[in-house]
Amino acid sequence: MRLSRRSFIRSSALLWFGFFGFKMRRDVPVIRPPGATSDFLARCIRCGKCGEACPYDSIKFFDISAGANVATPYIDPLETPCYLCLKRTSEGKDEPLSDYLLCGEACPTGALKKIKNDRDTLLSLPDELKMGVSVLNRDICLAWQYDSCGECYYNCPLRDDAMLDYPPNEVITGAVGIRPYVNEKHCVGCGMCNYVCPVNEKIAKATVEPGRKLTYFEERYAAMVRNVIGKAGREVKLPAVRVVKRV
Amino acid sequence: MKVKVIRRVFQLAVLAVLIAVPIYTQNPIEWAPSRIALGELPPPRVSQVWGDTWSFSFYGINITHPLAALEAILAAKVIYLPLIMAALLPIAITLLLGRVFCSWLCPVGFLLELNQRFRSFLRARGIGVKVKLRDYRYHLLGFTLMLTFFFATPIVSAFDPPHVLGRELFYLFTYHSVSLGGIALLTGIFAFEALAAERGWCRSLCPAGGLLSLLGAKRLLKIQKRKERCILCGECNLACPYDLRPVELGIDKDFNDKTCDNCGLCRDACPAGALYYTINTTRR
Repeated sequence: MRLSRRSFIRSSALLWFGFFGFKMRRDVPVIRPPGATSDFLARCIRCGKCGEACPYDSIKFFDISAGANVATPYIDPLETPCYLCLKRTSEGKDEPLSDYLLCGEACPTGALKKIKNDRDTLLSLPDELKMGVSVLNRDICLAWQYDSCGECYYNCPLRDDAMLDYPPNEVITGAVGIRPYVNEKHCVGCGMCNYVCPVNEKIAKATVEPGRKLTYFEERYAAMVRNVIGKAGREVKLPAVRVVKRV
Repeated sequence: MKVKVIRRVFQLAVLAVLIAVPIYTQNPIEWAPSRIALGELPPPRVSQVWGDTWSFSFYGINITHPLAALEAILAAKVIYLPLIMAALLPIAITLLLGRVFCSWLCPVGFLLELNQRFRSFLRARGIGVKVKLRDYRYHLLGFTLMLTFFFATPIVSAFDPPHVLGRELFYLFTYHSVSLGGIALLTGIFAFEALAAERGWCRSLCPAGGLLSLLGAKRLLKIQKRKERCILCGECNLACPYDLRPVELGIDKDFNDKTCDNCGLCRDACPAGALYYTINTTRR
């Protein structure tokens, strides 16, 4: 097929527009740092101060491939969750690092609202300022299927409020261990549960690729993870508890 | 004393801050994700100094580039008072002293000045093309502000070169990686200035510099000439990076007020000491 220069230019321009037009969609589900307003993309001046302020480097930034989102902050809970500016003391108690969540304190434009860093404020945070909400898939949850996990419950920064060890108003027979339940009213979507959930890609891949090294803890869960994923089918979304945007 | 020496001190200080801040704010140890989420992390570093030339904070004091504030207001259609307050200091400095940011503080301007040596090195070997560009900064500024308004997205914020440089340094020290887009942009500008247009970005393309030029059009600090000392040698014309003609100051043509950024290169170049800085309160 002969392609004239003009039609080649036209088609490649269309391709480029399609590519970037798709990338520039405004409603891509991006987990923003805590306190992100609904007009975040308009207010954010891409200064990167939230990422510099973040004490655990949880906040990452998009590259040019994200189109209009270039240099805007996001949180990938699988890589590093938001620690809600907490530190764990030697007694095992979580304490706030600062008076305000540091990303909101650093933001010069009000794209990230300043949120006081204490438990009561975080529990009563309005929905539009939350990062997202965790969704638990009971079909592949080791605690629900095998009574043998509970990492998400133990690691939740808002334990017993955002993540409960037992669902309220539900009768479960034969339960001996933890049955994690996400309380959507209080969950801020920090992604800690997402991060610690053992039903993850790494373990799932290790079961098909024998060469992959697992840690002791992951080895402990590997057989059960293989079982739940085998039952649920390969196209199930991992991990068992994920952060999604609030709608 | 040469103005260039003082200017270099300022520029080096800004570059040092751009490197020192991300080094200070980065996490002290490279840590691997662990199964136990908080307990095995090293103590995090809580710093109160953040930012680069686009927006900078020092223990609660915020300084923001005027164009950043303008873009945020135009895009969000909301006036956020702390942002205006943060932009007041740079606006005041620019109103009084002209766009000294470009010549005295901008780290990319500094590197591009050094890039001129590379350019002349290439020129001596016949590498490069000659590109003459008119001053498109105001057109680009208007165009990007219009896009910012209609698409509700700050645009210059994404590609302002000094900000991109600061951002890349921050990415480098914090995430141990740099972003493709930013590095491509900076390399592109440096190559463009080395091979094609001399100081092409600063004098004809930079929208942020365009806004500062407009703000500094009626500035007080100006270059002035002692007519009796001038020997009309034209050294100042050659020294000017913006192709202005300081030799014609006060003779027949008016000096281009908007473009001059008070860099002082013409003053340094003058063999007779005829050019000097003056605080000009009367209207010429």
